[in-house]
Amino acid sequence: MKRWILGEFSDPDSLLKAGRALRGGGHRDLDAYTPYPIHGMEDAFGLGPSRVPLIALCGALAGISGGYLLQFFLNAVDYPINVANRPIHSLPTNIPVTFELGVLLAAFSIFGGLLFYLCKFPQPYHPAFELEAFRSASTHGFWVSVVPQPGQQNVEAKVMEQLRSLGAANVSLIEDPEEEPEE
Amino acid sequence: MDAQLTREPIPDIPLIRGKNTDRSLTDTLFGFLWAKPGRAWLALFGFCLSLTGMLLGCMAYVISTGIGVWGNNIPIAWAFDIINFVWWIGIGHAGTLISAILLLLQQKWRTSINRLAEAMTLFAVVCAVIFPVLHTGRPWLALYWLFPYPNTMNIWPQFRSPLMWDVFAVSTYGTVSFLFWYLGLIPDLAALRDSSQSKVRRVVYGIFSLGWRGSAKHWRDWKFAYLLLAGLSTPLVLSVHTIVSFDFAVAQLPGWHATIFPPYFVAGAVFSGFAMVLTLMIPTRHFMGLKHVITEKHIELMCKVIVATGLMVFYGYLMEHFFAWYSGSKEEAFTFMNRAFGPYAPVYWLMMFCNVLVPQIFWFRRIRLNMKAVWVASILINVGMWCERFEIIVTSLHRDFLTSSWGMYYPTWVDIGIFTGTMGLFGTLFLLFLRFLPAVSASEVKEYRYELEHAAANGHSLPHKGAH
Repeated sequence: MKRWILGEFSDPDSLLKAGRALRGGGHRDLDAYTPYPIHGMEDAFGLGPSRVPLIALCGALAGISGGYLLQFFLNAVDYPINVANRPIHSLPTNIPVTFELGVLLAAFSIFGGLLFYLCKFPQPYHPAFELEAFRSASTHGFWVSVVPQPGQQNVEAKVMEQLRSLGAANVSLIEDPEEEPEE
Repeated sequence: MDAQLTREPIPDIPLIRGKNTDRSLTDTLFGFLWAKPGRAWLALFGFCLSLTGMLLGCMAYVISTGIGVWGNNIPIAWAFDIINFVWWIGIGHAGTLISAILLLLQQKWRTSINRLAEAMTLFAVVCAVIFPVLHTGRPWLALYWLFPYPNTMNIWPQFRSPLMWDVFAVSTYGTVSFLFWYLGLIPDLAALRDSSQSKVRRVVYGIFSLGWRGSAKHWRDWKFAYLLLAGLSTPLVLSVHTIVSFDFAVAQLPGWHATIFPPYFVAGAVFSGFAMVLTLMIPTRHFMGLKHVITEKHIELMCKVIVATGLMVFYGYLMEHFFAWYSGSKEEAFTFMNRAFGPYAPVYWLMMFCNVLVPQIFWFRRIRLNMKAVWVASILINVGMWCERFEIIVTSLHRDFLTSSWGMYYPTWVDIGIFTGTMGLFGTLFLLFLRFLPAVSASEVKEYRYELEHAAANGHSLPHKGAH
């Protein structure tokens, strides 16, 4: 059974402060839930670099090479059309479609890579949604979640106490009956 | 006394007015969605829906009878179908400019207007696509004419034609605009899911929000994805109208064969698109209670963009005329004389009035701040831009090299019915959008409000650009 401790802050600054304090206290499995992206979140919660640019690059390269080869194969190899004796294969006339397909595949890979691979959506259920107060996370609440490291005694009570002392409201413990702890 | 003498002569208008909190913004931005539809909305919706019905009727008539029911003829083989296509696509360009280019340039005033402008882009593309698809005559066969689909005849499209590039440009543009719009919408869909009071809405918004919970890790990747899509959309939007202009510029026809076409078309697209954004935004902010997030400052800035792009369009006109004379080509020179003094002269002078003279009123701040004047001017500009496309297409085609093959073009009732119908379709989609989705991006406005508050707390003056 995996356990989370959630707490709500009223403004982004105290959330960032709490993130730094919790990380300083040795907690590693932290996350925050906010209605809009907050500058400085990556540092405060120790998030690594994003993998989106790499995914986008792969998509763009696939689109560019695929788009060019498509036109070359269709118009120069499989079904050549002689138009007023102009070259069957010509680089400049193939640029626009190559560019468009590069953009199209890059956009698809960014969109799909973000939502379906990195965020693992669609995910209509998340244990945090059990908490009625968590509804504010998308409108005006700034939530933090901590997964306490197992092995210590009374660790949950300690984390909850720390969150309260940092100024969190609605501090609560939620459990996911289906998921096993990762360690 | 001194204070009065040194008073700022032009008081600054804020981009977000009044004292707002995240909670109050949630209420004011989503309020319209929870309220019952008013009479004005229902009446407008009914009107637009009936025009859409007329559109469907006219489309069925064209498809079942053939495009002979249009006024197109030889020599004027392209007419309303291409005029309206270019007009609608051009309108869409302002949405991408606001959402993508202004994001890259860190122009914070885009935050309250990008959602609405992007929605306008999508609906304009839908309207635009109807025309060339109908013009193929048999749209059900257009699949293998337009896309490289492996068919049993073993034939493929010809990629050396700008018309083929157009297919790829417009379909990529429509798709990427949708992805960009939807990505920006997801955090707001989650907010709608969480703040809705009805079970049905919670479920429906919940499905479309895909389970977004605003996790810090997700936001980190979301920001990158949003920025990269903006970076991709920027060259994309320039490429789309460039390629649209190639449809003409690559031909030998006097009046079309001009190297100035790509930049001239892009400027014209942004010019007409901003006019359409103003046409839609002024009533929207008034009737939906959004004046605190879409202030006169936004309207004023858009008017300035219109002046700038309007002057670019005017420069395009000057250059076209100059080269017609300078080229020494008799046919080129005749085309421009014929535009100004031939049978379609009224359209030419209406275009010059609407596109060259009308935007000049925006040099005056008092007019930029007068919503009624701006609204009327924005409609005139779109009339002017429609006339421009009519000029380029019809007057170039109707009298070219051979006097023996001159002709005249008059639209039929079907032409006019389809064009009016697409306006109805556009209105229908736009009204549905206002009803069911937030017209102003709540998450972005809240983020901007927080930045302003932060800057004020640290003693900086309120930034309009704001460091990110």
